[in-house]
Amino acid sequence: MTAVAPETHEERRDNIATADVQLPLVKSYTQVTDEILDTLKITKAWLTGLAIAVTCLGIGATAWIYQIYMGLGVAGYHPPVMWGVYIITFVFWVGIGHAGTLISAILYLFRAGFRTTIYRCAEVMTVFAVMTAGLFPILHLGRPWKFFWLIPYPNWRLIWPQFKSPLVWDVFAILTYLTVSATFLFIGLIPDLAVLRDRETNPLRKKIYGVLSFGWRNSDREWRHFARAYLFLAAFSTPLVLSVHSVVSFDFAMADVPGWHTTIFPPYFVAGAIFSGIGMVFTIIIPVRRWFKLKHYVTLNHLDAAAKLCLFTSLVVGCAYLTEFFIAWYSGSETEQAYFVNRVFGQWWWAAWIMLTCNGILPMMLFSQKLRRNTTFLFTLSIFINLGMWYERFVIIVPSLSHEFEPWQWAPYAPTYIDWAILLGSFGWFSMWFLLFVKQLPVLAIAEIKEIVPPRMRHPVSRLSLDGHGETPGTDASNEVL
Amino acid sequence: MSESSTPVEEQKQGASRRTFLKVLGAAGATTAAIGCSSNTGEKLIPYLVQPDETVPGVSNYYASTCRECAAGCGVLLEVRDGRTFKIEGNPDHPLNRGALCSRGQASVQGLYNPDRYRQPMLRKNGKLSPISWTQAIQLLEQQLATVQSAGKAGSALFINQHESGSFPGFLDAWLAGYGMPAHLSYAALADGGVIAANRQSYGVAWPSLDFTAAKLIVSFGADFLETWGANVPQQLSFADARAKGADAPRFVYVGPRRSLTGMNADQWIACKPGSELAIANALGGSGSIAQAAQASDVPVATLQALATELAKGPPSLFLAGGSFDVALAVNGLNQKFGNVGRSVLSARPIESFEGMSSDAELMDAIERMRAGQVSMLLVRGANPVFTSPKSAKVADAMAKVAFKVSFSSYPDETSELCDLVLPDNHAIESWGDAQPLPGVISLQQPGMDPVYETRATADVLLAVAKGNPKLATAHPAPSYREYLIGRYPGGTAAFTAALIKGISSGALASERAKKAVVATTRTAANIEATSGDTYLVVYPSPLLDDGSGANKPWLQEIPDPVTKVCWQTVVEVGSSAAARLAIDSGDVLRVETAAGAITAPAYVYPGLRGDTIAIAFGRGHTAYGRYAMNVGVNPGDLLPVAFDAKSGAQAWTSTKVKVTKTGDFIPLVSSEGSARQHGRGIAQAIDARDLGIVPTPAEAEKTGGGEEHLPGDASHEFLPGLRAPVAQDAQGDLPSDDNMKGMYDPKHWSGMAKRRWAMTVDLARCTGCSACVTACYAENNIATVGAIHQSHSTSGLEGQPGANILRGREMAWIRLERYFEGGETLDESFETRFVPMLCQQCGNAPCEPVCPVYATYHSPDGLNVQVYNRCVGTRYCSNNCPYKVRYFNWFGYGEPARPQYAWPERMNWQLNPDVTVRGKGVMEKCTFCVQRIRESEHRAKLEGRAVEADEFTTSCAQACPSNAITFGDAADPAWSVTKMIADKRAYHVFEELNTFTAVVYLKKVNHTVAAGA
Repeated sequence: MTAVAPETHEERRDNIATADVQLPLVKSYTQVTDEILDTLKITKAWLTGLAIAVTCLGIGATAWIYQIYMGLGVAGYHPPVMWGVYIITFVFWVGIGHAGTLISAILYLFRAGFRTTIYRCAEVMTVFAVMTAGLFPILHLGRPWKFFWLIPYPNWRLIWPQFKSPLVWDVFAILTYLTVSATFLFIGLIPDLAVLRDRETNPLRKKIYGVLSFGWRNSDREWRHFARAYLFLAAFSTPLVLSVHSVVSFDFAMADVPGWHTTIFPPYFVAGAIFSGIGMVFTIIIPVRRWFKLKHYVTLNHLDAAAKLCLFTSLVVGCAYLTEFFIAWYSGSETEQAYFVNRVFGQWWWAAWIMLTCNGILPMMLFSQKLRRNTTFLFTLSIFINLGMWYERFVIIVPSLSHEFEPWQWAPYAPTYIDWAILLGSFGWFSMWFLLFVKQLPVLAIAEIKEIVPPRMRHPVSRLSLDGHGETPGTDASNEVL
Repeated sequence: MSESSTPVEEQKQGASRRTFLKVLGAAGATTAAIGCSSNTGEKLIPYLVQPDETVPGVSNYYASTCRECAAGCGVLLEVRDGRTFKIEGNPDHPLNRGALCSRGQASVQGLYNPDRYRQPMLRKNGKLSPISWTQAIQLLEQQLATVQSAGKAGSALFINQHESGSFPGFLDAWLAGYGMPAHLSYAALADGGVIAANRQSYGVAWPSLDFTAAKLIVSFGADFLETWGANVPQQLSFADARAKGADAPRFVYVGPRRSLTGMNADQWIACKPGSELAIANALGGSGSIAQAAQASDVPVATLQALATELAKGPPSLFLAGGSFDVALAVNGLNQKFGNVGRSVLSARPIESFEGMSSDAELMDAIERMRAGQVSMLLVRGANPVFTSPKSAKVADAMAKVAFKVSFSSYPDETSELCDLVLPDNHAIESWGDAQPLPGVISLQQPGMDPVYETRATADVLLAVAKGNPKLATAHPAPSYREYLIGRYPGGTAAFTAALIKGISSGALASERAKKAVVATTRTAANIEATSGDTYLVVYPSPLLDDGSGANKPWLQEIPDPVTKVCWQTVVEVGSSAAARLAIDSGDVLRVETAAGAITAPAYVYPGLRGDTIAIAFGRGHTAYGRYAMNVGVNPGDLLPVAFDAKSGAQAWTSTKVKVTKTGDFIPLVSSEGSARQHGRGIAQAIDARDLGIVPTPAEAEKTGGGEEHLPGDASHEFLPGLRAPVAQDAQGDLPSDDNMKGMYDPKHWSGMAKRRWAMTVDLARCTGCSACVTACYAENNIATVGAIHQSHSTSGLEGQPGANILRGREMAWIRLERYFEGGETLDESFETRFVPMLCQQCGNAPCEPVCPVYATYHSPDGLNVQVYNRCVGTRYCSNNCPYKVRYFNWFGYGEPARPQYAWPERMNWQLNPDVTVRGKGVMEKCTFCVQRIRESEHRAKLEGRAVEADEFTTSCAQACPSNAITFGDAADPAWSVTKMIADKRAYHVFEELNTFTAVVYLKKVNHTVAAGA
């Protein structure tokens, strides 16, 4: 419905990492509502995408059921490499799950305006990524049906989990993070749910939206409470962004394995997680803005700003890589040194170089503003970042375990088709939820975008508005007036 | 169990049986009857009326004799509820003194082998099909009558696996009754040349050897720790000698390949195959050093140094493997240097080797078969179709025999060609006797009723004879047992009394004359004259021996002590040849001779000359059950039929071969990660010269340390290990305001809190033989995972043996790490160090805090306990274990319905009822045989006493033929282990990690200086 202008049209090149964000092609509240709600219409392409996602999930689920039946031996584990693709993928998805809360909460507190158009997408990604990640610790268990033994629940055996174990900390960290980020996502959705309710004609769906929106009436009082609650949750989520991946890094840092046992891991993992999360945001938002015709909302300015954040985290991660090597040398520990030499020149040299290239070298290109504003480049780079971050976890987990203290037990590792099927299934699972979401709920925050539409344009003034989709002022007034 | 079997020790009843059972039950002991997992409604305790000495849940021990090789070691059969589930050495037996090798221990897997014949079989329409015993015996009677009436009895042939004792005489008497010639007593790969030379030199087949009386041992290819002679007594004596510290003998190994025995040597003289004689002659003064050096391709200086060392006249011991000539020359050396009567005890011969037929005699018989001159063939135990070179075409020859009877228990290559199979009882189901040493009778009694419908061959022969009225009077004994009692000096009472110990003094009347040496004309060609570019050395596998071990999954799965390859035959290629020919481990090689060709992957081994390849004999079966069939290749396919001229023994090193790379690659099924220590001090050694210099812990304390410590180097101080908070708590070291500490309270009634179970492993004694590994498999219900049917499509080697092991999934709780020491590139002077690596039972264990569910935790007596039922399988404990001694159940090895099932029906009868069979998805590891600890504690409590020092030991320590392992309570000075820990050679592996291990290693001692210097 919207004839989108060429990307270069009226783009501003100012520093837009502030609250002063403008959407020059967005003229009115109605336009915002119409264009964003328009993305909820079911299309053939979406159905195809969903079918592919569900198929992938089916493959993964089948592989898992087979693995539960046969035993973990069907995966590629090769003792002493006792953790493999599943834990790599777990850390990968937890990392992905970081950008959402960073963008929605931390950048909110910092008043970084560019977050407005991408945060919903990132938040949804976060919740589903954590949901995906949460499967893997269960999935990698020898006896997954006993996973609840990691949760401290009252039981007649009076046995509690071992609270010294980082895996128990993981349970708390991940569950807390999932709860808080899901709550945060839902709170932010309330005004938008009200919009959906008002536009809905199906009585049942209208009812559901009504319940979900808590009977939002758009009153001043409601907005005041909403703003306070949102601010509170943003402040509440902020430390979680740092804590979750710190705790995940403890899984490794608390162990005595050469290559794991290092104090740099918490900040290193957090930076890596944000880096990978932003990478995934690019992977998602660039197709979304194109296919959902939202380029004039998610402008190049926003992508440019996010790319700068990406570049910054890449530099942090690259610095951490180098620090690890320095500390290994400086430690004087022979096993540690042997491990790091082995990391880059040993049997897994290619994985280490994939990691260094994708995460440290390629993102350097983001120093060029031209490339930061090239969506094709950004998308391609984001794929490399995703790959590089998966391999970062591979490099941390597999070579460390395969090259430990006891030389007699040094071993190779090769994943099997079961590992790959479950990895594919995790993408299917994530994509399925994401695709279901984008057709049920707005992928852009309607209410927040309306906030940045300049006041004098809040009402469509004439039929000469950009899309020519004339609309009488006052329609849907209860929603359209802030 | 047979009616008058007598248990070794009557159960002492300190409490009533009811109380004892209550304690056992209350202790939650794993007495669940895992031995009977089939659903066919078997009885838990297979007795109608329970014998008095049988208490459910308590083992009885029956003394018997091992029949896995000819030696005749004494064993104790551990029997629970009517089933024998473990075999241990008999401590009272003079030959093996309580130790037992892997082969002996694995005989239970022969007993319960799922592929055994379950009843007599008769060939019908070309296929063996079951018949009844009545029919079978009738049929044999008929056939014997037919042969007799045709006047062809004189051309019948009975081949029996060589054994000592009464049976050979009994058999010959039986054969004579039918007018048949005496049987052939066949032992494949026996050292016939050495036996013949010994008989010529000393008048006995095999003298006992006293290694402790020597200061210099020189072995010319005699692998006395493996299959040469009676390996257990030899190993015991060798280890005792090597444990003498600075006084221990230096050991020089001469031969083209460094075998396991060679790896234990201080010096390896890598001579050309076939040149041992020249060296022996040169040392004996009957040849020149220069000529010997030229013939053997050994530097003159090396031989000169050895000759000089000998000239100083240290007490020495010379041993030879292989041909008669070498053995005779070596016997001459022993005589020349005065070793006979000192280290070569010819007055105390191992009599088990008397009466052995030569390979040439067997081959002559086979030629008679081929010529159609054999009217009837009877085979018991031996498997000549497999053990003879393929070029002998034994199967073709057998086809010419009208009627062939096998008494084999297993569907081996020979019995599969026979017309009638009358399966023999396993040794554990049979009566018998042996005369291992002069004046020593070792009795063999059954540990249980036969597992299948088998019958002892002796009883079958008796039954057949009774069916013949002419012979009935010649065989008055109603059963073979009665026959044995009849022969036994002292009669029934003495026999019954002797059964308790399993041995007695006395001599069995021998009907068999000592065999004369039979010369042969089919002699081996000069090895230099054969065509090919590389020498071939074929040696019996230390674990599988002549291939009879191949149907026992333990022996297939335990890595070869030298190559560390299992479930596979490899072509060993010397490092220098590998570099020259660009061969890497795993490259498939085609090895060709005039006799045949095989293809197998290469294993690059520094302990082999560059002009030689070596292949172990024992695999490559085409029958013999699911564990043996299609596993590996048989190097016998390459060998010509050629004999040592003077002894008639098959010449195993007799030909050159042509070796070519096929271009294929097969990954090696190996347990080896890196064969080098990378300076990490896992296997430490000390030079004998430094032994006197190194301070004891007390001295080190005074001088403030003394030595500089390298990472991994020992501080010579035992850290009791109880440093972790839980452990400190256990010791009562943490202040406590209340009395709620449970078992952690030192005043708790369990009294466990003050214990610290610990182990020492003396690397000066350890030879790397891996008997401890077998013992652990047997005791702890450890699954074998390498059989063909256990492979999985994700394994990378589907349908191949060892597929799971290719992914490192072997389950051995104790493993023998084998590290090479030497320069960057290993030359001939490389050193091998063996380290048995098991759970170190750390006091400050990295595995414990990371387990999220408390499945692994610290017990009050200092053990790292693994609770299988609590384990969810995060495998974090294994990641955090620096020693990598935790093993995960990747598949349902304990679930009968799965292809990965490790104990197919009746193999599960071997499972130790005291130990849980672990489920899919849980971690397991060495428990320090906690079931034995608890059993002793319970027994002591029942008897109202404290556990006595050295009252019991772990399975590995119990079996070790080197006595290298000592187990006990390190918190109590009365235990031997406490004294061992104070040794100046003691060290902890990875001490720098502050794990406070309970396993203490004592450094290996190297003897680099010439003896007598």
